[in-house]
Amino acid sequence: MSMKKLIFLALLVAIGLVLSIVESFIPIPFVVPGVKLGLANIIGLVSLVIFGYKEALIVVILRSLTFALSTGNFSGLFYSLSGAILSVTIMFIVYRFLSRYFSLIGVSIFGAVSHSFAQIAVASLIIENIRIFSYLPIMTLMSLFSGYFVGLSSIYLTKNLKNKNISFNFTNL
Amino acid sequence: MTKWDKMLIFFIIIISLSGLYFVKEVAVNEGAQYIRVEVNGKEYKKISLGANMEGKTIEVKTEYGFNKIEIGKNKVRMIESDCHDQLCVKQGWINAPGNVVVCLPNRLVIELEGSKESKVDEISH
Repeated sequence: MSMKKLIFLALLVAIGLVLSIVESFIPIPFVVPGVKLGLANIIGLVSLVIFGYKEALIVVILRSLTFALSTGNFSGLFYSLSGAILSVTIMFIVYRFLSRYFSLIGVSIFGAVSHSFAQIAVASLIIENIRIFSYLPIMTLMSLFSGYFVGLSSIYLTKNLKNKNISFNFTNL
Repeated sequence: MTKWDKMLIFFIIIISLSGLYFVKEVAVNEGAQYIRVEVNGKEYKKISLGANMEGKTIEVKTEYGFNKIEIGKNKVRMIESDCHDQLCVKQGWINAPGNVVVCLPNRLVIELEGSKESKVDEISH
């Protein structure tokens, strides 16, 4: 792993961390617990497109860990870790094999929906109550919106990064 | 934004709305959710109430006697008993959580239990 790539990955982790912290300040006018904007998903998607699956996984896992460290909320670590890992995996599969059909918006919606699914699955395991799955429909509805905007901003971001020819330099390394 | 993206969004909206509708239907049926049958102080059987259990009868045959329980829509009653006073049969339907039918000669208790409270509020996100 070259120094350049290392620095860029570290930058992505830092941006993701800042996005998570900033979005935790934004109040959401819904009573459903655990609903977040998911802005940090932009980072996962961008690193997936520019680098690949392994790097994206590293970035989202590091982002979850650093977010838990910076907020001290370790009970939320399991939710965000499981959500991040599942969503990156699903996004990778969709992006790799179905990108003929779906644009980045579709990819990110897949990621957002699987993120909330993983979160609810882990929550139902932790509190041992399957009825928490009744939150799933409203969370998938919410993740549609956030997935759409995350996908839109990822499209602009990757387009700009590719114009700067950064991606070309990095994929060879 | 391709055609498939729009189809995906549409599909997820449909799934979520039908899920919401389903959840609401389930949530309306709060109240009695389980029947607990006790014989001589010990749990004999636990049955969850649902549409598929409507109209079914359960036979309880123990060393203390024979009873037959009928399940209705969120309610339950004793329809047959070999005890001598037949009080349990005369009691008729019970439908609220916490209500009981007791057949003392046969040492049988049928209790309706509400569903457990959701524990969501105990977890901080």
